Amino acid sequence: MAAEKFTPITRKVNTIIVLTLIIGIGTIIGLSYWYISSTTNTLNNKSLNQEAEYLYQTIRTIMIPGQASLAQGYFENIASIGENKITIFRQTGKKAFSDNTTIESVNRRWGFEKFHPAANRQDDGEKPLDRYFSQALQPNPAGKPLSFRVIKNNRVYVDIYKMLENTIKCRPCHGELPTARGVAAIEKDITSQLSDQYRTLGFSIIIFVFVVLSLAVILSQFMKNAVIKPVKVIGDVCMEVTNGNFESKVAIKNRDEIGTLGQTVNKMVEGLHERFKLSKYVSSSTIDSLKTEKKGERLPLTILFSDIRSFTSYAENKQPEAVVESLNKILNFQSEIIHRNKGDIDKYVGDEVVAFFSNDNPELSACRSALQIQRELAGDSNTKYGNLQVGIGINQGEVILGMVGSERRADYTIIGDNVNTASRLCDVAKAGQIIIADSIYRKVKEQVATEGPYKVKVKGKNLFLRVHILKGLKGKAK
Amino acid sequence: MKKLTVILAVVLLGACSGGRVKKYLPDDYSGWEKTTNTVLNYPISGHENHFRIPYINETGEKPEITVKNNRKYYNYPPGTIIIKEVYDKLTAPAPGEKPIMLTAMVKAPDDPNALGGWVWIVKTPQNKEIIFKSDFCITCHNDANSAHPYGDKNPDGEFRDYVFFPYHYQSREESEK
Repeated sequence: MAAEKFTPITRKVNTIIVLTLIIGIGTIIGLSYWYISSTTNTLNNKSLNQEAEYLYQTIRTIMIPGQASLAQGYFENIASIGENKITIFRQTGKKAFSDNTTIESVNRRWGFEKFHPAANRQDDGEKPLDRYFSQALQPNPAGKPLSFRVIKNNRVYVDIYKMLENTIKCRPCHGELPTARGVAAIEKDITSQLSDQYRTLGFSIIIFVFVVLSLAVILSQFMKNAVIKPVKVIGDVCMEVTNGNFESKVAIKNRDEIGTLGQTVNKMVEGLHERFKLSKYVSSSTIDSLKTEKKGERLPLTILFSDIRSFTSYAENKQPEAVVESLNKILNFQSEIIHRNKGDIDKYVGDEVVAFFSNDNPELSACRSALQIQRELAGDSNTKYGNLQVGIGINQGEVILGMVGSERRADYTIIGDNVNTASRLCDVAKAGQIIIADSIYRKVKEQVATEGPYKVKVKGKNLFLRVHILKGLKGKAK
Repeated sequence: MKKLTVILAVVLLGACSGGRVKKYLPDDYSGWEKTTNTVLNYPISGHENHFRIPYINETGEKPEITVKNNRKYYNYPPGTIIIKEVYDKLTAPAPGEKPIMLTAMVKAPDDPNALGGWVWIVKTPQNKEIIFKSDFCITCHNDANSAHPYGDKNPDGEFRDYVFFPYHYQSREESEK
């Protein structure tokens, strides 16, 4: 399975914050703009509808038979008032009062010149918008006049078309038909209103961007200080602990969940540190046994015994502190070498080290460890280790590994005849010598240089043991 | 989840039933009286060149008539329906010919669609009732409340409750005698 791409939490949090702000504030601004725009349009339409109704009622009232000139004067006067343009179109689509067609038609109906044609009529050629005009001439069941938006010469207008019905008052002069005498058109220029709306929208967007960015910076900074930074500090401490530094502490003063987490991590590190320190005094197998809760088992192991020669006489002539210091130095470097070669310290018995190996090639690992120990001590020209020397014995074979001791105090240690034999070989070894059992030799003879074989008699054994003195490694084993 | 589905279904059903279009006009008005014996075969604004036959239901046969300041006021009771058949041509319809539309007035002063106490309706051949909320119908019918050139011409300017040809119940009884 491919590893998931690492995405910093800062990026995730910032993305969520910015998205939330954009959606939240954007929605509010969008709705506000829509509401303002919609309200303005509604008010415009309402105002125009009302105006159309006034106009319509006025036309109905002043259109007294035979008094068309009165209506004409009225339209001419109101056409120039205010910012709205009012135009009356005949049913034919021609502008009313633009010529004498109507007068001539009325006169024909009456059969005499009831009205004198006017001399100064002018047609400015203005036409209604066809598709809306024809619609306006049809009966409209809706309770409001036809309203639409139109763009002319880069300006935006709202137009209202309202049918002028051929009422009974009209009919004596204009006849029974058609039903619609014409259309009253009211036009309002809303360009500046729209500009204001767009300006408001633009301003809102600028404010929106500014607010979103500011809040994003403030919130992300807050998140960084309150959460992300402390989490990173905790992560760094964990990493330090992973690398073996138990002195590292989480320094978080927050009195919140993060602060509590920091305190918990500190306690956890303290606990780990204590256990780590404890592990110096306890063998790995003991720790493993605690994990697995094993009471005992029979295992093939390679056992190494290392004992300091003439330590008792050495200790007699030295200050106790110096003795302990030298002893600890020797035990310490031996432990490091044994661990480096994948061995495990079973226990220290006074100045003696008991170790065992159970890795892939335990015999060679034990031999290599012994040689390194002797080499280190042999090179001790500056009396780092007080000119002390060790004898080492190595044996292998089946041993019992188990918890030995009382309920209050027990060791998880190795016992058995092969362990005793290793100890006896150690006893036999002189200072600087490494004695290995024949069984070890047979396993590693291609890789080690030895002297022997020799026969030795050891305590507790009736027969002679066949042993070798390990001198070094050879071939690739070096 | 199941409960939510049931609630949604109930809400939707409620919404749908609330949105059902109210029917104002009966399908059968064949038993109704004609409001006038005048043959309406002349062109008129609003109905243009179409032959017309108006009918009135029984509720509207006897409008309440009061007099105030020497002016007669007709008041048709709520529930009055006047249906005007509008035919394709201006000539009388052939036997079995169907009208191209019905225009109707329904007296319902409390109805939100009412103008002047009447709901003004056009019924299409597809049986769709279109309610006129605009003043298109009433503008013309308002002229029935003053002297006009049609029927008895309302010479005294009686308030005829927007009806050009009021049905004369008395005269029918007399004619039956």
